[in-house]
Amino acid sequence: MQLDTKQRVTELSIKELLATQQLNTKPQVVERLAVADDVRELLPDSGLVRGRIVRCSGDAGLSLALSLCSLATQQGSWLGVVGVDHLGLLAAVEHGVALERTVLVHPPKTSREWSITVAAAIEGLDLLIVAVPERLSVNDARRVQTRLQSRRAVMIIVENTVLSQSRSMHGSNESQQFLADVVLDTKTKSWSGVDRGAGYLQHRDVRIRVSGRRVARERNYLVTRSC
Amino acid sequence: MPAPRRLAVLRCLDWSAVVAAKNSTTPCAVIHAQRVISRTPAAMRYGVQVGMRRRHAQALCPDIEIVAHQPSRDRTAFDAVVRVVNELVPLIEVSEPGLIVFAARGPSRYMGGDGPMALKIVEALKTSVADSHLTASLVGLAVGVGVADSRLAAQIASHASAMASSSANLFVPYVVEPDKTNEWLAPQSVRVLSEFANINRETISLLERLGLNTLRDVCTLSESVLAGRFGELGVELHRLSRGDEQYPLAVVPHPPEHLCIEKFDEPVSDQQIIINSVQRMAVAFTEYYSVHGSVCVRIVISFESEAGKRSERLWYRPQGLTTSAIIENAKWQLEAWLASDISGDPESHALENYGLVRVQLIADEVRTDTAQQLRLWGGSTQTDETATQAIGRLSELLGSSAVQVAKWQGGRDILDSYELVSATHAQTIGSANSHEQIPAQKWRGALPNPAPSVVYSEPVQVQINDQFGKLLSVSARHELSASPVSVIIGATHYKVNSWAGPWPVEERWWDLARSRRLVRLQLVCEKITVDSVSQILAMLVILEHGEWTVAAIYS
Repeated sequence: MQLDTKQRVTELSIKELLATQQLNTKPQVVERLAVADDVRELLPDSGLVRGRIVRCSGDAGLSLALSLCSLATQQGSWLGVVGVDHLGLLAAVEHGVALERTVLVHPPKTSREWSITVAAAIEGLDLLIVAVPERLSVNDARRVQTRLQSRRAVMIIVENTVLSQSRSMHGSNESQQFLADVVLDTKTKSWSGVDRGAGYLQHRDVRIRVSGRRVARERNYLVTRSC
Repeated sequence: MPAPRRLAVLRCLDWSAVVAAKNSTTPCAVIHAQRVISRTPAAMRYGVQVGMRRRHAQALCPDIEIVAHQPSRDRTAFDAVVRVVNELVPLIEVSEPGLIVFAARGPSRYMGGDGPMALKIVEALKTSVADSHLTASLVGLAVGVGVADSRLAAQIASHASAMASSSANLFVPYVVEPDKTNEWLAPQSVRVLSEFANINRETISLLERLGLNTLRDVCTLSESVLAGRFGELGVELHRLSRGDEQYPLAVVPHPPEHLCIEKFDEPVSDQQIIINSVQRMAVAFTEYYSVHGSVCVRIVISFESEAGKRSERLWYRPQGLTTSAIIENAKWQLEAWLASDISGDPESHALENYGLVRVQLIADEVRTDTAQQLRLWGGSTQTDETATQAIGRLSELLGSSAVQVAKWQGGRDILDSYELVSATHAQTIGSANSHEQIPAQKWRGALPNPAPSVVYSEPVQVQINDQFGKLLSVSARHELSASPVSVIIGATHYKVNSWAGPWPVEERWWDLARSRRLVRLQLVCEKITVDSVSQILAMLVILEHGEWTVAAIYS
């Protein structure tokens, strides 16, 4: 009797093994790009799922996007930074982005040319950090999104920081041509390290709100980030 | 030991500038990546040199015509020269526009010696220029021919001959006597290695600092000593300076010859179809040799039309011909052939009337694939290859300046630490790119971590006030005049919560033109928006020449 159950158990496990193997062999590419430990808990699938769009908004959006990309680029994925105007490369290195696998692309900001460029980048690069131009038409955006899903790349949307504009940074949320799967909205609470002339900027407390289509329940995190 | 082969090199001095210039008297410079890569003799008289910055060249010669680098223009223009030479010498090798290499033995024997042969070729070139087959700007073209036993020596000789003919306006071929190449090379400076043999400049400067100023000095050292100091490169240096080929011809036995041929049952006249089949063949071709651990450095590409006309050309690349290089060369050859047919007599239109029936790739020289033979970007994974293709496509779409990769250069300014170079340019830099990425230690005087993620290439003007609304200033002893209280950028007001600094920088104070004196300050500001939500912003501001600017934002 005892033997019988044992046998059943082994049979079951073999079945399970076969099932997982089938699952593994079916898609040609790894379905998820790895992310570093400090940002893993923010994402609903604890990784960047291929074919999806992540939006990093708010005043710590760009640095968050960079740290999302770091581990994947170190493991051999290529990163394209499209249309982001003033990326600090030193910051990218500090976040752990492998610059030897990073390409910076500056397309024109018209809807057509921008979408063609992003589509071409999706063809060969695993990861994209893009800043979406305001004039992007919904049709072009949808075309890009379809391409993204079929080529199994990950697109991270950030905002270009425009200083002299009076409009607040959160105001740009209206123009959302892309329906993001995960939205990470950041807001700096405080900076530490500086004190009226002494010290230097070291850490900051950031409130990160996680929402989006693929997030069951909106969650809030308060994290201390080194930048 | 087999008889040394004689090589002849025909060089058109500063080809790309001469082609780009409107006529032979205008000063003109070809610019690539903000540097002069070629200039006309007229520009040279003003002191414009290769490697100069664009602005420097313009300062020396304000009327100078600046032209962007365009390899396809140089190539198509060079076809006219290739055609003329091809009529006298059957099999020639065009490694780059402006340079033709061919085996000298046959033609010299036919035309009565190296000197007469060179004279005859240049004579033919001159008459075709006079017949206005070529454009007017080529009248002042300096052509040189050098003949020697090794490629390096022939290159140097051709350069010397071209220089002589440009200054004296009289063509003199430069022939190094057979078996005298070694002695002739010995007194040359080691700098010729970087000019003609693609040895990088740093190695050359190191050689000079080691006291090895001429090729004789390098030659007298034993090969093993050089190999111990420089590795593979040392052996190469020794081989070059004693007058051998840069790379050993074959260390392992050749793989059996590979027949790479495609016959079309139906004559093909569509250029794209031909190129596609060349592509297929090239992939199989390189694959075959890489499986055998070797690489093809010289290839003969041959096309044959239905009418029995044939185009055969030799292509050489010392690092080994990759698939893309073979395709590019085939494209060049095919285009040139078509153009020559159209300009020639109408009865012989090879493709128009008849079409192509045969394409063949023949390996002419094969050498062992060494460990240095890294692929582009230094990688070999599937993702790297698809990414390289995508980058090529992006550069095609947007122009090469809009697609960039980063290169570490170091510096205390956040903008300086990485240089952005265009991705296509980086391809020519090659695989060295990935090794240089590891950032060195922080520069002294650089800002402490973390680095700002938004860095403005053109700083944004800003107004920083103290509590009385007066503009903040910094004394000669780098002290702030008061505490910063408010920041105004455009129409937006910020309240300063805290700050750090000021940190002064004084760079190159000994050089008036390049000296910099500035003060940096980190600010943590708060903006109260309409809906009374505060927004905190950390930024880096710089005071230079009495003006505050925002250099970066910690986003």
